[in-house]
Amino acid sequence: MTRLIGVEFAKFFATRTWMWTGALLAAAAFGMTAVVGIAGPTGTPPLPGPDTEDGLAVAIGMSGMLVIVPALVGLTAMTGEYRHGTAVPTFLAAPRRWRVVAAKLAAFTAIGAGYGAVAAAAGGAGIALACAVLGVQPAAGTAAIAAGLARAALAITVYTLIGVGFGALVRNQLAGLAVLGGYLYFIDPMLSFFPVLGPLQPFLPRGATDGLTGFGALAERVAAESGIAAPDLLAPGPAALVLLGYALLAAAAAVALPVRRDVV
Amino acid sequence: MARTAHTVAVRSLTKSFGDVRALRGLSFSAPPGSVTGLLGPNGAGKTTALRCLLGLVRPDSGQAEIGGRRYAALPDPPAAVGASLDAAAAHPAWTGRRHLEIYRRAAGAPARRAAEVLEEVGLTAAADRRIGGYSTGMRRRLALATALLGDPGVLVLDEPGNGLDPAGAAWLRGFLRARAAAGGTVLVSSHLLAEIGQTADRVVVMDRGRALAEGTLAEVAGEHGLEAAFLALTGAGAMEVPQ
Repeated sequence: MTRLIGVEFAKFFATRTWMWTGALLAAAAFGMTAVVGIAGPTGTPPLPGPDTEDGLAVAIGMSGMLVIVPALVGLTAMTGEYRHGTAVPTFLAAPRRWRVVAAKLAAFTAIGAGYGAVAAAAGGAGIALACAVLGVQPAAGTAAIAAGLARAALAITVYTLIGVGFGALVRNQLAGLAVLGGYLYFIDPMLSFFPVLGPLQPFLPRGATDGLTGFGALAERVAAESGIAAPDLLAPGPAALVLLGYALLAAAAAVALPVRRDVV
Repeated sequence: MARTAHTVAVRSLTKSFGDVRALRGLSFSAPPGSVTGLLGPNGAGKTTALRCLLGLVRPDSGQAEIGGRRYAALPDPPAAVGASLDAAAAHPAWTGRRHLEIYRRAAGAPARRAAEVLEEVGLTAAADRRIGGYSTGMRRRLALATALLGDPGVLVLDEPGNGLDPAGAAWLRGFLRARAAAGGTVLVSSHLLAEIGQTADRVVVMDRGRALAEGTLAEVAGEHGLEAAFLALTGAGAMEVPQ
């Protein structure tokens, strides 16, 4: 198994895509927290600055918006096996296919955690920059901010695994990109407009992510401005469990499906 | 070739994809020390048969075994069987060397094998180029090199001559003959009569998911030659030849 995990790392690092993805994630996390922190208080409507509890929650929660990136990393890793036909030599080298997929999940847990750490560090740097520019002290201590960023990193790790599992389900790279991106940014937010589905919102991937990263502050503010009733999101702990549940479902799909399906 | 070569044995294999019956009771064998050619028109079921043999496709019924075991039940599959099914089975952004290094690790083969198989298939000079820039012939050689990583006694190759230029085809012929002469089991599929006629000792003619004839090249070709025999067999469709 160690050998197969090593093979998955070797595949991941075989091109430079991993580096560009990391750079993109870092730049986005840094840019979002810095811009929201600096410009938020003077925006329309004004957002709380990093010297308030709400403002910090918003800044940290922004990194939850980035979960599509690790999800696509995982998705591409899995669907790429089918797109490039490398599933054949891979499964020939290790015909007990569940071991291949388990190795991929293990490798991408570490890779997702790595991306999460990068995004958290960059987000922390963005908050620090915003505080420096505004000449204010952050509302929470370093440890509390780090804990918030660690939750965002956990969300990023979990979404990497969701990507791998979803990739095993759809196998087609383009379809996977369209469905996953469309769901996270369009369908899931739209569901809040349906009163029947509203109560489910905290348990859907988006709601659980926002619960975990503490993005609820911004959601409630926007809801208050627009007059839409916002659902109460879960606390970070239960939200993390819900997200982990999705990751487990995705992992189960990732292991079960390639084992049963024909590779043609 | 360091490994023991096993006999490939396919018995009463059936497989349907939806309404399409790809295999309808296919049986044949490929013994060590010879090149067995699986010859059939496009859509005869050759690729499905090889995929069943390699555990990539689950047959509806029947057995496909190597040395009496299913592929997945072999103690060390890449060391027993080397296979190439699709010349495109490589990440275009990797170099040939990187590709072989990754699958060498996956196969658990010694570190020197990547360089050895590059040399064996004549791809050393292009090893550090991206696979996306390879010609079809080079991709074929890379696929063959991947199959050789575990230094297997059995080779299973699907249409290995496709896309090769005349020099490449002659090289492949010599390569496969040498493997068989050294005691290896070589099973190649093809729809090209000339390729099988020049390479194989034994021929299995198949069409519509079953074997229509099996024997030595001379036995199957008969007095009118392989082409006449092939056309007579496949043209008649269900005409059975006792095995």
